[in-house]
Amino acid sequence: MIKVRNLHKYFGDLHVLKGIDLDVDASEVVVLIGASGSGKSTLLRCLNFLEMKNEGTISLLGEEIDPKKTPLHKVRERVGMVFQHFNLFPHMTVLENIIEAPVHVRRKPKAEAIKQARHLLEKVGLADKGDYYPEMLSGGQKQRVAIARALAMEPAVMLFDEPTSALDPELVGEVLEVMKSLAAEGMTMVIVTHEMGFAREVADRVIFLDNGTIAEQGEPETFFTCPTHPKAQQFLSRVL
Amino acid sequence: MTSFLHDFIATFPSFLEAAWMTLKLTGVSLFLAMIIGLVFAMMKVSRFKLLHTLYGGYVSLIRGTPLIVQIMWLYFGITQFVVLTAFWAGTLALAIHSGAYIAEIFRGSIQSVDRGQMEAAESLGMVRSLAMRRIILPQAFKRAIPPLGNQFIIGLKDSSLVAFIGITEIFSLSMNHAAVTFKQLEFYSIAGLYYLFMVMVFTFLLNRLEKRLDTAK
Repeated sequence: MIKVRNLHKYFGDLHVLKGIDLDVDASEVVVLIGASGSGKSTLLRCLNFLEMKNEGTISLLGEEIDPKKTPLHKVRERVGMVFQHFNLFPHMTVLENIIEAPVHVRRKPKAEAIKQARHLLEKVGLADKGDYYPEMLSGGQKQRVAIARALAMEPAVMLFDEPTSALDPELVGEVLEVMKSLAAEGMTMVIVTHEMGFAREVADRVIFLDNGTIAEQGEPETFFTCPTHPKAQQFLSRVL
Repeated sequence: MTSFLHDFIATFPSFLEAAWMTLKLTGVSLFLAMIIGLVFAMMKVSRFKLLHTLYGGYVSLIRGTPLIVQIMWLYFGITQFVVLTAFWAGTLALAIHSGAYIAEIFRGSIQSVDRGQMEAAESLGMVRSLAMRRIILPQAFKRAIPPLGNQFIIGLKDSSLVAFIGITEIFSLSMNHAAVTFKQLEFYSIAGLYYLFMVMVFTFLLNRLEKRLDTAK
């Protein structure tokens, strides 16, 4: 589903990603963890080309993506993204947020898009909130709308960039629940998160990034109980 | 006071006509200025460096020279090559002038929209132009309304400067009356009253618009 080889990314002189190799299979749930500045968000953002790689190759759905040749908006249609700060469109209602891309990008008939949006809202537990504006919602509700908005494009992969980091602690659970049910349905997901309990429960594989490289990866049970890399041990002792 | 009232009433029909000219100058020039401002703002937020330079040149030239100089330059300079009536020379000068300030207003309001909005739109498969039209500009326009209103008021009052290329609008009419009757204070006061009235009506409409947009998001 996703194949990354020797990915390098620089911000000016700063070498943020130092040769990342990453494979994600269909229906796999991969969680990226690591200290802040380790490059996990940058790696995620490279996967849908919100950040441009400097070196290496990225293949999605079996096709190598060359930003100079492939229209990136076509790629992004297949890759859903959920942001830390939701980034809902404040001038549109919840329903309008969700149908925006299906109607204007995919040219879906409006009635059909609305039907799908209502179905998605029901799925994330917000069936009655379609006519609300984002500012009338709580953080957890906003993030669930953002998930529904991304799902409306029927993506093959979903990327989550710290989806619960901006939420009040009591609202984290409702977002994680939605993500769990997505994982259970077989959605391919790459998640950057600090929720270790969630990672342990839902991830098929945990990847620990340190200073722009993959320091350790493995099944969550093994990784969380006996990490081998000293940096991973140090990191886990601090967060668990 | 009675003589002032008498002057006001006696000149009312001619001032009404002059006020209509002021409104036409203001309306047409600001309409054009909005288009100019939007086009230049889009140039400034585009990815092409050459367009940024063009924007910088336009804005510094216009902001760096007085409006009256721009009006004279357009009227006496351009009309050597193209035929322009005084009305169109004046309107164009006002439009090009306000356009620079409106471009700055639009640029600022576009850039004040959170970067995450463009990222979210792009992550949904929107190309930049669609994202600009559907996501960024509607938010930017709303934020631009208060400074735009301010610029419109300035534009209305600045239209008085075209009196110097022979257009009969409020200010030039008051100059004429003052010169003929020697009642300078009276007629410049009358001119001021007309401007004040128009600005107050405009401000009232603007406030209503702002309130409506606020409740409708």
